Amino acid sequence: MSRTGVFICHCGTNIAAVVDIAKVVEKAKSMPNVVYVEDNKYTCSEPGQQAIKDAIVKHKLDRIVIGSCSPRMHEPTFRKMLASTEINPYMLEIANLREQCSWVHTDREKATDKAIDLVRMAVAKVAKNHALFTSSIPVTKRALVVGGGIAGIQAALDIADAGYPVTLVEREPSLGGKMVMLDKTFPTMDCSACICTPKMVDAGQHPNITVMTSCEVEKVSGYIGNFEVTIRQKATYVDHSVCTGCGICELKCPSKVTSEFEQGMAQRRAIYKPFPQAVPAKPVIDAANCRKLNGKAKCGICQTQCPQGCINFEDEDKLITNTYGAIVIATGYELIDWKSIYGEYGGGQYPDVINGLQFERLVNASGPTEGHILRPSDGKEPKSVVIVKCVGSRDPNKGKGYCSRACCMYAAKHAHQVLEKIDNAQCYVFYIDVRTAGKAYEEFYTRTLEDGAIYVRGRVSKIYEEDGKLICKGEDTLSGQTVSVAADMVVLETAMVPAAGVEKVATLMTISRDNDNWLQEAHPKLRPVETHTAGVFLAGVCQGPKDIPDTVAQASASAAKVCGIFSKAELQTNPMISKVDIEKCSGCGDCAGICPYKAISMQDMEFIEHGKKITRRVSTVNSGLCQGCGACVAGCRPGAIDLLGFTNAQILEEVDALCL
Amino acid sequence: MSVDVEKKNVDPNWEPKILSFSCNWCTYAGADLAGLNRMKYPENVRVIRVPCSGRVNPQFVLRAFQKGSDGVLVCGCHPGDCHYVTGNYFTRRRFLLMQRFLEYNGIDPRRFQARWISGAEAGKFRDTVTKVSNDIKALGPNKKFQESWYKERGESNE
Amino acid sequence: MSDIQQELRKTARELLESGEVGYIIGWGKGRFANQTHPIFVKDPAKVDELVWDDYCLSTLAKYTQDDKYPEKKIGICVRGCDSRAVNRLIQDHQLKREDVYLIGIPCSGKLDPETNEPAKKCVECAHRNPVVYDVLLGSPVEEVPQPERFKEVEELEAMTPDERYNYWADVYDKCIRCYACRNVCPACNCRECYTDQYRVGWQGKQNNRAENQIFGITRAYHVGDRCIECGECQRVCPMGLPLMKLNRKMLKDINNLFGAYEAGLDTETKPALGHYETNDVEEFM
Repeated sequence: MSRTGVFICHCGTNIAAVVDIAKVVEKAKSMPNVVYVEDNKYTCSEPGQQAIKDAIVKHKLDRIVIGSCSPRMHEPTFRKMLASTEINPYMLEIANLREQCSWVHTDREKATDKAIDLVRMAVAKVAKNHALFTSSIPVTKRALVVGGGIAGIQAALDIADAGYPVTLVEREPSLGGKMVMLDKTFPTMDCSACICTPKMVDAGQHPNITVMTSCEVEKVSGYIGNFEVTIRQKATYVDHSVCTGCGICELKCPSKVTSEFEQGMAQRRAIYKPFPQAVPAKPVIDAANCRKLNGKAKCGICQTQCPQGCINFEDEDKLITNTYGAIVIATGYELIDWKSIYGEYGGGQYPDVINGLQFERLVNASGPTEGHILRPSDGKEPKSVVIVKCVGSRDPNKGKGYCSRACCMYAAKHAHQVLEKIDNAQCYVFYIDVRTAGKAYEEFYTRTLEDGAIYVRGRVSKIYEEDGKLICKGEDTLSGQTVSVAADMVVLETAMVPAAGVEKVATLMTISRDNDNWLQEAHPKLRPVETHTAGVFLAGVCQGPKDIPDTVAQASASAAKVCGIFSKAELQTNPMISKVDIEKCSGCGDCAGICPYKAISMQDMEFIEHGKKITRRVSTVNSGLCQGCGACVAGCRPGAIDLLGFTNAQILEEVDALCL
Repeated sequence: MSVDVEKKNVDPNWEPKILSFSCNWCTYAGADLAGLNRMKYPENVRVIRVPCSGRVNPQFVLRAFQKGSDGVLVCGCHPGDCHYVTGNYFTRRRFLLMQRFLEYNGIDPRRFQARWISGAEAGKFRDTVTKVSNDIKALGPNKKFQESWYKERGESNE
Repeated sequence: MSDIQQELRKTARELLESGEVGYIIGWGKGRFANQTHPIFVKDPAKVDELVWDDYCLSTLAKYTQDDKYPEKKIGICVRGCDSRAVNRLIQDHQLKREDVYLIGIPCSGKLDPETNEPAKKCVECAHRNPVVYDVLLGSPVEEVPQPERFKEVEELEAMTPDERYNYWADVYDKCIRCYACRNVCPACNCRECYTDQYRVGWQGKQNNRAENQIFGITRAYHVGDRCIECGECQRVCPMGLPLMKLNRKMLKDINNLFGAYEAGLDTETKPALGHYETNDVEEFM
């Protein structure tokens, strides 16, 4: 016989005002296996917890039921309390008398009846509870950071500075991501490259950081503390271990290709560094455009010109596998393809309708125009510039429903730059709202207004060309009048969308995505950098649009989480996981097919059956991978696999107790 | 011998017993949120917390009917939002079939329902359980599949 | 038919004499002329006990489960139903293909020994030729399409819920819980059936309507997405209960909800409850 203690909490008057506690206590006394019942004003308080501890000793309780607030609230509290007693922390069930009873009901009698039922169900379930024990798994103190933008760089630097080795994987040939493309950063207007490139160099030279550019994550298995990750090193055709980065190859290469880094407004060669300050400062060959590699010509000039002999046209993709204890995802964003959805803005037919990143390159001193704002079409200085905000953002019909958060500020920055760099320029900003929540942001916006930017509240409905001008038509929703501006250049501040390929990363690490494909954090408020996959963290825009300060803050937060894991020699596992009864298991493997974490595998085990040695296939659960969902359990017909803490027997008892 | 099914001489104060299996991460959280917001719904719904709706073995539903439940509700995260990634996709298949199978065996389909209710949808939780409760009150006590049939007729059936 | 019987005996003798198989599972003559039962022939001298006549009703593959770790291959006679049962057991990892030698026999249907009319399970058969075999005796017979596969189910569906409940309650009242349906079923291959696990308490042992209902529904649900429609459960039921009407209801819904499906035609197609599609029918919003 088990000895169950029942503790009913008044929660001040939160429960007691609606539920007749005395009656619940009275009824609980006659429930099966219950040897002691008491009520308490605040069970979670120090004296409340002490009262339970005392009762456990005095009445030799071996399991307890607490009727209180939701188990989602205080289950960890009470488990912790039990850890300091003779009772195993898992010999506890909580009846939710507050959130699911007193707070949602008014009829005292019926609410009391329900409370009694809830306590009876918990009493019935706890009778079938078993002591559960956490086990420990070793931690590989090496981190993987996926994505080499500012988020990935910051996370890698923080982890590396704490003394742990980090592998920083970037699919492009250089670190830097989007930030290094930008000209100035709001609101301080310091040069983006000037603050980003030193970080890139730091990461590239840090003794604890291995930078792997032109690499993508190919395969992930394992679990927190022990992820086995296979990384594909794409063929670069340049031996970076020998290359000095002299740049002769780039000068001699005859294939000219549109530069991705310059947003299509300049050209690069087929063997190239994306930009001069690239890290690593060594070129790669773009196989699709290399005349030798795509078979269009014999060429091979770079090979003959290279003084180090580091060009290798036979280079192939390599797969590199290593073990990591934790992973930070920092895959970032790209801008929405506005051309395919905004036909009314010309759908890309007007070269002087550009997006924000193109403007960044135009205004950047190392950009294609050396920092002079010149129209892409004819190289002339635009005197009248229209900036359109929320292109693709806050537009659920055509683009995305969400706000991309950074655009209000960089639109103000762009307006400021137009007015600063072009004499007698006029700058119109079409907006829905101006959102400047951030330190010194509002002040920056006000300054832009003082600079002379003309803010028009309304969306631009149409852009078309007339007499060499781009006519932007829209409505000023404040005055209710239609507005038409003849512009020389239009800058569309387009929505951020998750970087292409994020689905693959999410699937590899079993991270869920929201409706817009942003990676889902474990809790929007309290676990903003964790994912539902233990040991995998999020940094930067991959989790949702944000600006640079927020990105860097989140990157450091994820680094702190990683260091938290690495600070322990071993990790405790969740004991409420699936367990196989090999005697019942017939080895059909249905459970393995159902498991989303690949935690179940089928193994051949040796048994003696009827005096004969046989090999039988049975299911085994990896306790590091199993997250305890129980989907396999409901799929197992003979119930050979069961979920500890929510066993078939426990749930059946609960059902029976309710229906009594 | 045929059972006299559905309501007859129902006590006007009769309250149905309705069981809701709710996943810890979405529906249970949504039910807690309903509490935080002091929403009101009928008292006759009792929730059994499970980690995931995928944990709910259809046999639990049968058991509930057998032991005297008047209605059963299985709730989980919306497909695609499962805390455990895919658990509710299995829930969906299992209960699409089980619901039809129960109906085929004579259970009114309103007595067994499945719903996706997220942690934010406190209002949906309230509305769902209110509707299920009202539906079942209108249907009257469930006699089908119940042990009581056996008990009422005494030992002679043994 | 007797040609096939001769060929069967000859094949069996060769297999046994060469040592290719340890024994052969086939049909032997019963006490009455219109009866056969499964037999296990080990001795090449006794192959003449094997028969192939109008009454070879038993589906044989399940009998391999009494010898899961055979020292030599097991020879089994397989028609359409037996071969699908073999696939079922292979897919459920209860049988290894390399552990069996399949003697394929096309089948034109058998007779019900009580009435001498074509047996119900054979009238409803959609795959008369074995879908997998190592040797085929005779030549394939013409398949008979089964457009009325779900007719009995539809008749029940047309009733009111109370009519259906009473129909099934009457059925379950007759059930004596002998578990013959389970024991003969190639999809029922758990090491320990849930009904036998009294400690977990899935199911009471009492033979009363409520427990029989739970058993009947659970049995059909457990096999429903893997049922090969051999009809053996219904044939062996000593109380003559219409169990295929339960199994076929599951199959009908699976076909409607998740696409055309017949179990045991291969070993790759996943049963409906073993996988999912993200765009499955949505009714729970």
